[in-house]
Amino acid sequence: MEALGTARVALVVAFTLLGLFFTFVSMTGVLRLPDVYSRAHTASQADTLGAGFGLAAVALTIGWEAAGIKSVLLLFFIFVTNPTAAHAIARAAFEEGTVPWTEGDERR
Amino acid sequence: MADTDAGSDTDGGDATGGEGADSDPGDPDDPGDEAEHGSPSAPTGGLVVPVEPTPTLRATIAHAVEAAVDDGFSTIHLVEIASWRNGDPGADDRAASAERVLERAEAWANSDLDDLDERRPQVTVATELIGADEYLFGPDDYVRVLAAYAEEHGADAVLLDPEYTPVGNTTLLQPLEFALSNTSLTVETAPVTRPTRRERLRSDATGKRFVAMFGFSLAFYLVLGDPLYWFDWVTGVATAAIVSITLSRVSIDVEPAIPRTPMRVLRGVIYVPVLLFEIVKANVEVARVILDPRLPIDPTLNRMRVIVGSGLPLMTLANSITLTPGTLTVRARDSDLYVHSLIPSARDGLFDGSLERWTRFVYYGRASARLPTPRERDDCAILQGPDATEELPIAAGDGGTAATEEDNPSVEPHGENRADRGEAGATDE
Repeated sequence: MEALGTARVALVVAFTLLGLFFTFVSMTGVLRLPDVYSRAHTASQADTLGAGFGLAAVALTIGWEAAGIKSVLLLFFIFVTNPTAAHAIARAAFEEGTVPWTEGDERR
Repeated sequence: MADTDAGSDTDGGDATGGEGADSDPGDPDDPGDEAEHGSPSAPTGGLVVPVEPTPTLRATIAHAVEAAVDDGFSTIHLVEIASWRNGDPGADDRAASAERVLERAEAWANSDLDDLDERRPQVTVATELIGADEYLFGPDDYVRVLAAYAEEHGADAVLLDPEYTPVGNTTLLQPLEFALSNTSLTVETAPVTRPTRRERLRSDATGKRFVAMFGFSLAFYLVLGDPLYWFDWVTGVATAAIVSITLSRVSIDVEPAIPRTPMRVLRGVIYVPVLLFEIVKANVEVARVILDPRLPIDPTLNRMRVIVGSGLPLMTLANSITLTPGTLTVRARDSDLYVHSLIPSARDGLFDGSLERWTRFVYYGRASARLPTPRERDDCAILQGPDATEELPIAAGDGGTAATEEDNPSVEPHGENRADRGEAGATDE
């Protein structure tokens, strides 16, 4: 693989940092938010962008090759499976009869 | 919804002991055949037959006529339940073809009745197209519409075509039977079998599905492999053939059509950047809230009735909502989406319905995307907090977690994770 251009390296670094940032937000959200529903939000969603930027950085590094295309496909599958998983968790909680936390409730 | 008052009273009759203990003592029937599922105990008003153009429709109609004569139904109601909604593109065509099916079924029923000449005058045949003023989603919706029709026309029995599939090609029969068993209607499935299964496999419809599925799986295989290498083509064709033989009828439930399907894909491609932009925008908002030391969240559960149609469009919308941070689809109950929102701005965005309009754009085109927002349609409700306009539809009510804590008072003082482990241990006792 030839050396990556400076602009491309900068973009890869930026994407990686953004991915790290959103993964960090996601983790913080899981720790801070009060109940299963709000945690399901952040566990899946901030993670979508976290993994999304990570994979975008990978695809940019590899370039227009088979592996790069596969990482774009991976991105696609994350975007399909992630909300499905979040929905499954939330729905399980809902069917168990868990009432969503609202403002004014005690923090659990 | 589970009103079983009229349907289940015949079962308890034997135990309470014979004469007159039941709710209708004037019933002259012998108790012997009451256990039989198909035979209603009283002569009845009408028999409802849901109609779809299936291979077994002819035989089902014949059976319906026999049943009507034997069990003394005065009317056979042939109803077609619309799986579309008036105003959809193509709704008029579908209504017209449904009317043709109904006409044909009515003609069959009448000719069968004529063949029975001696009892002809007692039975009339009525046809109706119902449910076209709303989207119907699951079996519950179909049963609700059927039950409303039956009540309106004084019918109390339903005869199901064993091949009855109102939506796509997914079988709805068992869920339908189950949902119908919760009503006061008597349900029977016509004891008929389809002529030959092969005929349908060769049909045009399945052919298109097969081709679509085959092309899609082969393309996917070659993207993963090497499209310039002959061996990948051989294995790819074999794999795609197996996949499409086994799954084309399962995975694709709406007939692919030439102008429509590529247009949907094209509009889907337009939708992707829009969705990505929404995700990034909302993600930044949610990140700000999460990182704020005060954690200014105001989570509520909301209900929104969406107008997108069942199946894939609904899934697309629900998943898009979940993908957009701050909103999470908790439950899809027919056309009602129960959406948990983390912050008020996410909730407002949800009620503005831009994702709903985009989904309609992807599946039905630009003309259908012009739609009042859920807020304007009054199709949304907040279920929690000071602004709540509806009750929370959670069955356990305030039970849920509280109930489990009462069961295990010893684990209450611990933290959440502890409590979970404690409960798991407690159930082992």
